Amino acid sequence: MSDIGISRRPHGWLMGVREAVPLLGGYIPVAISFGLISTQAGFSTAETLAISTLIYAGASQFLFVGMVASGSPLWLTVAMTLLINVRHVVYAPNLAPWLPKSRWWPWLMHGLTDQVFALAHNRLSQLPEHQRIGWFFGAAMLAWISWIAGSLLGAVGGEWVTSRWPLLGEVMPFALPALFVVLIVPRFTSRRWAAALSVSVAVGLLCTLIGLTNIGIPLAATCGALCFYMVRLPEMAGPGKGGRA
Amino acid sequence: MSVELWVGMIVAALGTYLIRLLPLLWMQRRLTRSNAEGNVDALPKWLVILGPMMIAAVLGVSLVPRTPDIAGWLATLVGLGVTLVVWRRTRSLGWPVVAGVLTFGIVVIVARGVA
Repeated sequence: MSDIGISRRPHGWLMGVREAVPLLGGYIPVAISFGLISTQAGFSTAETLAISTLIYAGASQFLFVGMVASGSPLWLTVAMTLLINVRHVVYAPNLAPWLPKSRWWPWLMHGLTDQVFALAHNRLSQLPEHQRIGWFFGAAMLAWISWIAGSLLGAVGGEWVTSRWPLLGEVMPFALPALFVVLIVPRFTSRRWAAALSVSVAVGLLCTLIGLTNIGIPLAATCGALCFYMVRLPEMAGPGKGGRA
Repeated sequence: MSVELWVGMIVAALGTYLIRLLPLLWMQRRLTRSNAEGNVDALPKWLVILGPMMIAAVLGVSLVPRTPDIAGWLATLVGLGVTLVVWRRTRSLGWPVVAGVLTFGIVVIVARGVA
């Protein structure tokens, strides 16, 4: 529960952990599903944990175990896994201006998922420089550990959990759209930005509805960016013009 | 997993890590060069635009409820409304999410009970 603008701040890593808590609502149910599907596809608990720990990219992990289970060629499985994750290339450069010099950043990039990027893109610019690496460490570590723990739970007792609390898997993932809407609303600073962001949200939603979840994020972001460049709308009077931060 | 499969998994993991890491090293080098040349706006414009668009896209993808029936969509709409109202009042990250998830859960339970 972060209140932006508090003068007395706790340690950066603790703030990162606290602010990443909403991510757990989305991570744990999906990770449980992954653990369950992975073991059903013939992977052991240790192998499932290795995949979650090392690859650590939700959609591509589902694809990886699915393709292996269906007997697809290994080179194609690896290529498709990487193709799904290509969207991550734009994340780190967007954060780079706010990353103070540290030899730890390269290691921390393993934790740069879609959700951690969304959170960091919003928060890093608001934090004092000395707290940023701690904040990112705390947020990324909590997300990573929750993903691994959820995968373990899914692999060991996924069927029991989903049958015992069927609503849990349906309600908790709403934490992700709730968090993203809070992160994106402050960026509706002009009609142009509002139009482009709305296009991006709508295309992402549409892609998921028609089953194009994997390509949905890059496609929707590209449509939104094209809209930003192509559509010129009269600007509303406002404090900002929608630049970064 | 066979040895071959382990190698494949490690290649996929390493590739994913490099996809996240290499653009950072490229941008850090670019920023260092720009600072040395006195250029304060080193981030390409397209990248400034693409960042928020990616977040909006992730929002769009995550909006579809796990069970996309009337109760699920109604809960999504009401949950988002409550999230926004609480955000306007608190301007925080945590409370709007808690309020949104609770509302989503209540609406799903009530709507399914009524149906």
